[in-house]
Amino acid sequence: MTLKTQQHGGARTGAGRKVNSGKFKEDTKVMRIPSSLVDRVKSTLELYKSQLKADVRVQIPAYDASSVLLPIFTSRVQAGFPSPADDHLEDTLDLNKHLIQHQEATFFVRAQGDSMLGAGIHQGDILIVDKALVAKSGRIVIAVIDGEFTVKRLHKYKGVITLKAENPEFKDILIKEGSELIIWGVVTSVIHQYL
Amino acid sequence: MAKFALVDCNNFYASCERVFEPKLEHKAIVVLSNNDGCIIARSNEAKAFGIKMGEPYFKVKELLNDKSIVVKSSNYPLYGDMSSRVMKIISQYSPVQEVYSIDESFIDLSGFSMNLNSYMQTLKQQVKTWTGIPVCVGLGSTKLRAKLANHIAKIYPRFDGVFDIDKLSEHRFEKLLHSLEVKELWGIGKKSADRLNRVNINTALDFYQADIGIIETLLGVNGKRLYRELYGHSCLQIEQISPPRRQIVSSRSFGSELSDYQDVNQALSTLARQAVIKMKRQSLATTSVSVFIQTNPFSRYSSCISLSKTIGMSVPVSDESILIPLVSKTLEKMYESGYQFYKGGVMLSNLTPDKSQQDLFTQESKTSKFYSQHPYGNLIQYASELGNNKWRSKADFISDRYTTNWNELLSI
Repeated sequence: MTLKTQQHGGARTGAGRKVNSGKFKEDTKVMRIPSSLVDRVKSTLELYKSQLKADVRVQIPAYDASSVLLPIFTSRVQAGFPSPADDHLEDTLDLNKHLIQHQEATFFVRAQGDSMLGAGIHQGDILIVDKALVAKSGRIVIAVIDGEFTVKRLHKYKGVITLKAENPEFKDILIKEGSELIIWGVVTSVIHQYL
Repeated sequence: MAKFALVDCNNFYASCERVFEPKLEHKAIVVLSNNDGCIIARSNEAKAFGIKMGEPYFKVKELLNDKSIVVKSSNYPLYGDMSSRVMKIISQYSPVQEVYSIDESFIDLSGFSMNLNSYMQTLKQQVKTWTGIPVCVGLGSTKLRAKLANHIAKIYPRFDGVFDIDKLSEHRFEKLLHSLEVKELWGIGKKSADRLNRVNINTALDFYQADIGIIETLLGVNGKRLYRELYGHSCLQIEQISPPRRQIVSSRSFGSELSDYQDVNQALSTLARQAVIKMKRQSLATTSVSVFIQTNPFSRYSSCISLSKTIGMSVPVSDESILIPLVSKTLEKMYESGYQFYKGGVMLSNLTPDKSQQDLFTQESKTSKFYSQHPYGNLIQYASELGNNKWRSKADFISDRYTTNWNELLSI
């Protein structure tokens, strides 16, 4: 009955390539790319294609990433039991991520002396110092007084700046007018190794 | 309109030293080349004493002492790490960045609608607080103009480290060009400057006002590009991926003058390995190996000699088990005894991508297979690389590798 209406020309249903049967298995788009980036985009696509073929989950690494932690591929193995942990796959624990907020501004420093024992800083500990953080009152800081380094707790009160030691055997340092104080960085953690 | 910024660290090596030794702030500092040979960086204070770039250390030793100028051996692990921190911060300010050298970076700001001057002030501040390194920023509609702008930002403190050259009136711009010699323009080397000087183009302004045809005849298409860049037509693009190297040189002044063939052989074998490592890192292969050694040109006591030899190969080679013995053999052929050699090196040129289109008659050597497959293969050295290490460089004034070695952290 109605089948006869399309005898001359026009689209024939079911003809042509199947939807999503191309190399990317999904819709594609035409796009302009700066020629300097063509190679980079091409290589990313090649990687993507090869992974699609291998039927693994695709993770495109950031360009120039120093390291890429790949999650374990979701298993598609037919034989055997599926891992019961598969649905609970999470990131690995990365101490760097946990302890370092501003990578480019973070420096490690070795502690000398016991003036900060009360704050849990022992001789030989490694301090993680972030230069990007603001030196608020109460924070432990690396300070430079007249060209010399020191680690102390910073106190600001009514315009008076004091660097406090956390050990009764050490005196606080009152910043007098005329002496130069530079806050080099803020201590965010201390690494105390037992072994 | 296109817009570029050139971010350049102020006295980068000296600034790196100051971050970890704050008492050096406001003091005159010089940094010596590998082997403490000559001066390769100076703080502003040292420049003010008239210390020149490239001056041999022994020549200015007394002056440095008299003026109590701080002397440092170069600490490349430290400078490299600080540089990559600075570059990463800069990269947050534009999607398009070119790291031009260890202490300079171009970024593309075309189409950015904010106040670029304050945007770049923020960048400058962030680099300073995060890393301790002071930078200056030049803004311009072309890379050449951004470079010029940076020059001004450095000289005049009143611009507070950021200067946009496109805001300059034509009259002031010409005045600025008049104050510069043509060889000070970015991209004009000594040879080009000589050619220009011969037709009385001496200042940058002469260059700017010359006929473009003359520039093209004298300097070719590159000169024409610079000329157009100066007028604000952007011809030089940001190069995000560094072009592959055309040659790799590994050379050194020796720690002491070497008169023994074995010592020289050890030095050159080790330098050959360094060159091969650099080449392999870029997946390149070479068809031309040059070896050179020379005596100290400043020495008053012994006669001067400079020896070199180049070997060509029929197929590109990247294998150290071929190249290191080749360097040794070449040295053996050209070596003349009776001289005190003080400098030497190995150059690999004619570099091509290492596709190892092997010639029919060579096979991958067993040793090289062993190198690449055995877990400790990279620890294996040639006998020629071993010896008394007399050639190893001096670094008498080196600071600690604060950021790259657990044993050398800053102690507070």
